[in-house]
Amino acid sequence: MEVAAFADGLEAWLSDPPASFRNACEVIPTFGGRVAAMQGLMADLFAAGWGRYGWPEAAGGLGGSILHRAVLWEALARHGLPGMELFEHLEVLAPTLVELGPPAFVAEVFPRFLSGEEVWSQGFSEPGAGSDLAALRTRADAVEGGWVVNGRKIWTSWSKYATWCLLLARTGTPDSRHRGITAMIVDLRAPGVEVSPIVQANGTDELAEVAFTDVFVPADRLVGELDGGWAVAMHILSSERGTYGWFRHGFLYRQLLDHATLGDETTDVALGNVLVDLAAVSAVGLAGVRSHEAGIPLGPRATFAKLLLCAAEQSAMDWLHSVEPDLAVGVQDGETTVLRQHYLFSRIVTVYGGSQQMQLETIAKQLLRLP
Amino acid sequence: MTADHDDEFLAAASEAVRRTPGAPALAALGWWEMLGALDDPDARRAVFVLFRAQGRELTDSTALAALLAHPYLPDAAPGTVGAAILRRSGRRGAVVVLPGPLPSEHVLLDRPGIGVSVLPVGDLTLRPVAVPGALALHEIDLDLDSLTPDLPDTTVVEARARSVFLGRVALSMELLGAAETVVDLAVQYVGAREQFGKPIGTFQAVRHLLAWARTDVAAVEAVVAAAVALDTGAPAGFDAVCKALAGRNARRACERTLQCFGGVGFTEEHPHHRFHSRVLAGDALLGTSTELARSLGAALRTTGEDPGIPRTLLRSVPS
Repeated sequence: MEVAAFADGLEAWLSDPPASFRNACEVIPTFGGRVAAMQGLMADLFAAGWGRYGWPEAAGGLGGSILHRAVLWEALARHGLPGMELFEHLEVLAPTLVELGPPAFVAEVFPRFLSGEEVWSQGFSEPGAGSDLAALRTRADAVEGGWVVNGRKIWTSWSKYATWCLLLARTGTPDSRHRGITAMIVDLRAPGVEVSPIVQANGTDELAEVAFTDVFVPADRLVGELDGGWAVAMHILSSERGTYGWFRHGFLYRQLLDHATLGDETTDVALGNVLVDLAAVSAVGLAGVRSHEAGIPLGPRATFAKLLLCAAEQSAMDWLHSVEPDLAVGVQDGETTVLRQHYLFSRIVTVYGGSQQMQLETIAKQLLRLP
Repeated sequence: MTADHDDEFLAAASEAVRRTPGAPALAALGWWEMLGALDDPDARRAVFVLFRAQGRELTDSTALAALLAHPYLPDAAPGTVGAAILRRSGRRGAVVVLPGPLPSEHVLLDRPGIGVSVLPVGDLTLRPVAVPGALALHEIDLDLDSLTPDLPDTTVVEARARSVFLGRVALSMELLGAAETVVDLAVQYVGAREQFGKPIGTFQAVRHLLAWARTDVAAVEAVVAAAVALDTGAPAGFDAVCKALAGRNARRACERTLQCFGGVGFTEEHPHHRFHSRVLAGDALLGTSTELARSLGAALRTTGEDPGIPRTLLRSVPS
């Protein structure tokens, strides 16, 4: 289906949406509640087909490109959906999974990802490997029929809710750095996996620490090449940085539109500057989406999208704090709890997905070519 | 037209305005012909690229005033008519300013709510404005109360909106050109200037200042490109969004780079202040970044509708 016809059909569908959409638009103060609501919506989007466009038929999709997904999430936000919640991981992990994952396994499992039935998590960081990801030590040793994984991951997003984890493990020598890392898919229900959710400062629990003790991974679960995990990680991070701005910006507009009337003349300049920031995210993000569609790697330019998104998210939430101080000092009812979660989360966006200082170094080194 | 093609045209325009600034550059680039073909996306991009080149090279021409006048008098001969800008002075109230060198015949002045006056250049009392940045500016002494319009207000509503759109996008392009050039200069400088026995560009504090400055520029580049591509399909407030961003970010880029240059960047002989002055002047015309941000915020607050967001940007921007 052409993008324009897709957009028109989706608008019509959203003009009389199913109960699951209205449910997901409600104020839901717990992360788990929001995940459940989103799973309901994902199931309906899958059944109606809208959630399958933009993904290849071999993976259970209906074909089309990233533009279909870009239209989908922009429209959902515009019609009132307050956030992607854990389905942002679909846009972070799935493009790489579909492109580099084992085809038979992807064909079997990916439809359940799209329909919201199964959730995925991202196992990259470790206690001793944050910004320096190539220092990771979780090992995968070859055994009969596959691999045995031992080690610990931290900040593994969405693990509490996940069935599958895309894991980076050391398959080379301990000092092989980025050359000896392999990406593999681990079943979090397997014996030896222990997930310990981390309650964050904003009260949500989408992060976790995950311990792996002699966890068996079948041989057909590699993503990319053996010892080619660094390229897989870069593929994911580049996609996350370059296109995620587009997927997220609609939800920041949602916050502005939902709370615009709370301010007065004294907050107009701040609000206008948020709109200006979001226009930049939108334009840079769209360029990233189009580049992705055309198969042109963004390379280090993806970093602009990431930095601009962080700046916009923080200015939006600064404005929100100024027009609704309840989030800081008010009775924490459902609505205020959610605003507080969003505000506090905006203070950490400069850390996840590559710290802001690492992003700035990327620009300094690769684009400005500073010494 | 590809991105590479755009880069080539920008390089050609920059060379033309550097070698033969003003009217010869406009003639050499075929700018007046392209001004008559704004509906064509390639011609439109070329019309606006001139202003980016002028910002990069710190040159000037009658192009901005001519572009502002074009929607009112599309058939005027090249270089004969320019539109003045009505701006607010803190102490003096309404001030009429003509950007660029004088047109040969007429200056057009549009006052919202009153209408358009077309004034012979020879009849005007002009006062040159002396600010660095190679930007010719004249304030025009006029008794606005006794000035009668030649075109009534009701007949120029569409032309006025179009003129403001074109002028804001053109000034955004100039701001972009000046900002990206001052960042380039700073990048060269920190690679050469040594302290503590090594280039100051090896220190993260300096590197990150310039990485932010480059990001400021990338944001402007993307939004201005969207404005040029959307053109008449842009939402009503998109020109304000574009220029608010360009003015704000170009000023930021000048401030961040000044910190990298250190004391020498604050001397009369150093080029920084000429780019900075050009940026400050550009930000002050057709709405400062603060004024525009305030009006955008007020519009969203009072109507619940964002005046500057293309709702279906994905479908309306050509690939």
